[in-house]
Amino acid sequence: MKLVYAISPREVGAVTQQLLDRFMAQHPDIEVEWLKVPGVPGEQHSLYVNQLTGASSTPDVIALDVIWPGEFAANGWVAPLDTYFTRDDLRDFLPGMLGAAVQNGKIYAIPLYINGLHLYYRKDLLAKYGFEPPRTWEELIHQAQVIVQGEKDPNLRGFVSMWAKIEGLFMNYLQFLWGAGGRFFGPDGRVAVNGPEGVKALQTMVDMIYRYRIAPESVLTYRPDDARVLFQQGRAVFMVVQDFVWPMLTGPDSPVKDKVDFTRVPYFEGHAEAKTTALGGWLLAINANSRHKKEAAELIRFLTSYEAMLRTAVVTGNLPARSSVYRDPELTRAFPAALKQFADFEVGDVRPSAVAGPKYPQLSEIMQVEVTSALYRRKTPQQALNDAASRIEALLGR
Amino acid sequence: MKREAGWWLVLPACAVVGLTLLAPVLYTAALSFANYSLAGRGSTSWAGVSHYLGLLGDEEFRVSLVNTLVFAFVTVPAELVMGLALAVLIHRSFRGRGLVRLAVLFPWALPTALNAIMWRWMYNTDYGLFNAVLLQAGLIEQPVNWLGTIPTAMISMMIVAVWKTSSFMALLLLAGLQAIPEELYESGQIDGATGWAAFRRITLPLLRPSILVAVLLRGMDAFRAFELPMNLTGGGPINTTETLSLYAYKVLFQFVDFDYGSSVVMVQFLVLFGLSVLYIRALRAET
Repeated sequence: MKLVYAISPREVGAVTQQLLDRFMAQHPDIEVEWLKVPGVPGEQHSLYVNQLTGASSTPDVIALDVIWPGEFAANGWVAPLDTYFTRDDLRDFLPGMLGAAVQNGKIYAIPLYINGLHLYYRKDLLAKYGFEPPRTWEELIHQAQVIVQGEKDPNLRGFVSMWAKIEGLFMNYLQFLWGAGGRFFGPDGRVAVNGPEGVKALQTMVDMIYRYRIAPESVLTYRPDDARVLFQQGRAVFMVVQDFVWPMLTGPDSPVKDKVDFTRVPYFEGHAEAKTTALGGWLLAINANSRHKKEAAELIRFLTSYEAMLRTAVVTGNLPARSSVYRDPELTRAFPAALKQFADFEVGDVRPSAVAGPKYPQLSEIMQVEVTSALYRRKTPQQALNDAASRIEALLGR
Repeated sequence: MKREAGWWLVLPACAVVGLTLLAPVLYTAALSFANYSLAGRGSTSWAGVSHYLGLLGDEEFRVSLVNTLVFAFVTVPAELVMGLALAVLIHRSFRGRGLVRLAVLFPWALPTALNAIMWRWMYNTDYGLFNAVLLQAGLIEQPVNWLGTIPTAMISMMIVAVWKTSSFMALLLLAGLQAIPEELYESGQIDGATGWAAFRRITLPLLRPSILVAVLLRGMDAFRAFELPMNLTGGGPINTTETLSLYAYKVLFQFVDFDYGSSVVMVQFLVLFGLSVLYIRALRAET
């Protein structure tokens, strides 16, 4: 019998075929065909939507971006996995990632690898001015102002990030919100971004540009790589982006290779317990119309095993979604920054995609537009977030 | 009998057109009047004109429609003027004309998406080419935030469009220029029509058919602009460079809202169709 496994070669391509060959050697009766889907998540999404709404029985196993399981499960496109994976099986996985895959108390996807946002900083500049890496936004703003004024370099920016109108902007806003002690959905289940924490979060982002003047206005056009280039040229003190930049920043031809380090995303004073790392990553799910669910579950069990995750991390640098793998000396040897990144993941959380289900793409779009409106000072933060809350409530049909 | 045979002969062509062109349009039209839910296997019910009424209250739809019209009505005339100037230039014979013709083709030969990404780098506020040059030359004090301010972003996007498609216009018009007999200019010279007068009284009138076709083709393209805003600005700042195609893409493929998205596409189709019909009728009336 034959299984079809859909995942893009972009991130874990270098190790996928090896793993599949090993799986087939262990299961001589199963043949696995690797369907190489396009690397752009949006294109994958369209492709899967077409396949799954057409009730196609393949691909059997599908790799999902962390924000998709809610939508796919709510639409009945992927099968519940509780019959194949017990609670004990799942104990080792990072809870935030698992949370993204739960709908109505059932689990619909198993985490494969994980990534997140970090605060990158210039350790040489911080040392020069006698600063410790900032724990709070208040400290970061102060340090950035002091360093930029002290350096007198017209090309040096205090803070850069990816604040263009993209998914990454919503991730950034959530980190400020969580760091102020806020949640996207309040205890009553309603959208809570327009409460005092949400407003403080957005006001801080606005002030970083116009009041404290540590972020350039052009940050509103920046996608992750734009920020990375500026930082790598040595033209920014602080940067918040995903972890894919680390190999580039520390590569042999990087001008800042010995001057850069990273730490967890800051929180606001008085909220040291806040989880501020917006997590990303991928999970594996089974097509609800697959004719080989049992074998598909076997494949998922194999690909999300300790061994497979270790191999994936060592070969490709995509970090394990299991806590235990981080204690493996082979991983720390191959990827010294892994443990540090893991510490940041442990204070991480996922976007509210499980709750929003199929409405998540629209929810994110509304947030991106309203946050952008405030960052361009077209609306006050309170106004923008009131509009966002009422639009999202309407979207969720409440 | 002969007539009947003729019908049979064109039937395959009609079938192909019907299947590939008409069927999808009709399917989209039908979807735009339906409630189509993706949950499970997709269920369908009659929605009447509710999606179209929804469009009336849809701020983003209105903004993207206006953006698209502004974009088309500014870029197409600009491209026509630039294209005409280029065409006249490369129509003359001079040394190295072949090279210049190749150079003119270059912007058109680049894929739009690639083109947009290239320009995004050049426009970059902090390490882009334009700001570097302007700062060096002392023309500006502070870097210009090309793609991050309103309305500069729209203007920047229009510049890319004009740069890219003027060359296509030039090619279409060059073909028209080469069809104008040289004798006309010679007899014009005898009558004392040289330079500007010859251009106005001989070139322009005879070039009219080419100009009209070029404007129609480009106008349709501009009205469907997608790769350029997608890759240059992502529709930002806020929604100031979002075009109809970009909005339709968002609704159809990001929100997976096939029924509502279909109504967006239908309105786009009808507006384009209406504009084209008006345009073609205006042509007929003149000739």
